[in-house]
Amino acid sequence: MVELQARSLRVKIAQQWGSLGLPFLLVAVVILFSFLSPVFRTQFNFLSILRFASFIAISAVGMAFCIMAGEFDISVGSMMALVGVLGASFVPVIGGFAAVLTTIAISSFLGFVNGIFITKLKIPAFITTLGMMFVFRSLAYIYTDNVSVYIDNDFWLYMGNGRVLGIHFPIILMVLCFVGGYLMLRKTPFGRYVVAVGTNAKAAELSGIHVDRIKIAVFVMVGFFVGISSVVISANMGVANPGLLGQGYEFQVITAVVLGGTLLGGGNGSLGGALLAALILGSLRNGMNLMQVSSYWQQVVTGSVLIFAVAINRLRYTLMGQEA
Amino acid sequence: MGKTKLLKIVLVSFVSLAFVFTFSFVGCAQVEEVIEEPIEDIIEDPIEDIIEDPEEEPVPDEPDVEPMEVPEEITIGFSVWTMEFTFFQRVERGVRDAAEDYGFEYIMMDQQSDATKMVEDINTLVGMGVDAISITPVDPGAIGPAVQNARDAGIPVVCADIGFSGPVNALIISDNYLGGQLAAEYMHELLADAPDHSWEFGLGNLSPEWTYARQRGEGFRDKAEELGYEIASELIVDPPDAEGGFDTMQQIMSAAPDIVGAFFCSGREAVGAARAVEAAGEDILVVGYNGDPEELLAIQDGILAATILQLPYEIGYQSVEILYEILVEGAEYEQEEIGAPVELVTPENLDDIAAMIEETTGISAFE
Repeated sequence: MVELQARSLRVKIAQQWGSLGLPFLLVAVVILFSFLSPVFRTQFNFLSILRFASFIAISAVGMAFCIMAGEFDISVGSMMALVGVLGASFVPVIGGFAAVLTTIAISSFLGFVNGIFITKLKIPAFITTLGMMFVFRSLAYIYTDNVSVYIDNDFWLYMGNGRVLGIHFPIILMVLCFVGGYLMLRKTPFGRYVVAVGTNAKAAELSGIHVDRIKIAVFVMVGFFVGISSVVISANMGVANPGLLGQGYEFQVITAVVLGGTLLGGGNGSLGGALLAALILGSLRNGMNLMQVSSYWQQVVTGSVLIFAVAINRLRYTLMGQEA
Repeated sequence: MGKTKLLKIVLVSFVSLAFVFTFSFVGCAQVEEVIEEPIEDIIEDPIEDIIEDPEEEPVPDEPDVEPMEVPEEITIGFSVWTMEFTFFQRVERGVRDAAEDYGFEYIMMDQQSDATKMVEDINTLVGMGVDAISITPVDPGAIGPAVQNARDAGIPVVCADIGFSGPVNALIISDNYLGGQLAAEYMHELLADAPDHSWEFGLGNLSPEWTYARQRGEGFRDKAEELGYEIASELIVDPPDAEGGFDTMQQIMSAAPDIVGAFFCSGREAVGAARAVEAAGEDILVVGYNGDPEELLAIQDGILAATILQLPYEIGYQSVEILYEILVEGAEYEQEEIGAPVELVTPENLDDIAAMIEETTGISAFE
């Protein structure tokens, strides 16, 4: 009886980390920097943090689905560059609105291609997306001749710089993407299938789930959200640069998802966690910048936070009696 | 049983974490007023350590700053491409020294070669309420909206090297065209001793996105053609590093076997090209552009014929001078391009140049 109570307490505490640990960390970081820097606690700065966190967070929605399904995509940075320069170059021809939609459609299609290679040709996701990382980036260079594509279209620029009631449009987009992702994950059969496939693909197959279809679908989702991010980020800079757009982006997105409590092996995961993680990383970076912490130390801190969080996470699943 | 232990560990670490955070808040709350002090220390100290002799600071060509005009609370923000390369370290050093000479507060942010972070940093500087911004942008095309933000907030912006977009007040950049011309002239001078040489040159250019840096190639080409030479082979160095320079030079040599000289528009690439010439046992003059330590060492070793030295320290310093003129003297600048001097470095003047670099920047020319 005592043994049982202890176990249920353990499980409770472990489960609470997901819903309490990350918010606690975020609040801690925000309070800490608010005390240390008067600039940090200004409204302007909070909005700035949210805006730059949204660049990572929007793609993190797709990536979280992908990792929950037990897969992985490191081609997102290059994909962002390729669809960014393609879409931006269409603007003069088809107009801003159509170009934005086309960008998102193309990146969803590229995600579909990734998914087909991985499921039908049985090439591991790591290899496929590693290869695609080079292919997409190089195609971006080839298409543009390594010349940046400037964006001079109000609609496209609005996606990155516009404001609704004083709030930057990317922040609103981020919220919409998370609400949409959350509903999909928790309220639709698709969400349950993704978790089932990630937990045990064999068992999912046996219970009648089309595993390949689910996997292809999550890669399409990755592409879809990367397409949105690509528009938002290039709009923020007013230019789509084939070499610099999305450079190192894949690791920022994966860091946010993993820090958010999604297991790299698939199965369990949390969208809210990924959002919080993106905000934590953004606040840390902004706060350390304001404190004039050297950029090398910033990376030490970010790396340590990631390892610390994953260690806690591992512990948590051990306590819940699951394999981490 | 092992699990009970784990549970305890988790609980203890949570509690201690909570304590650490609580104490840091309480501690900070109490000393909130004085907190500026230690932050300054964090900024100043490591920098002072790097400087070898902070006493004698030769201010390049504009020492007459009226002391009465300098308002204490002016803060200059500087956003730099990366602190990984010597070139940018020297730009940063110039900006920092100038800020100190004018009595400005100084805040530096490192873009880490990331265009998104660059935009974020500029916005953060605007949010911090700095009085002026100097930028060495990793992606000059991408600063437009951020510069617009800064200008909307009444903050003047100057780009130190590379290029610009958006409503910056000024861009200070090396006179690239002149540098290319100097290279062609020098090669012509060296070849004057060998009267029946061929009249062909090679050119290792930069990719089209580097609008400004490509003016080096244009200057070289124009001067060379004026002197009666032909550019027999021109290639873009890819990848833009020493290895790329080596490969490109090999290709140039096989495409145009008669060339007597080659100009490479960038530093490490030129050293790679010179090594390719050496490996092939050819007698081809190679001239580079930048004045990186690798190049100066290669000139010392007799591998590289010469290079065109950019003066990054002066570019950084000048960017603050312009900001001073705008802020304090009320000068008007709108999207003005200001050429910074370049110098030809040859085996003859190498020692003098190295001494000059070390004197102004405090960093050895060969490191």
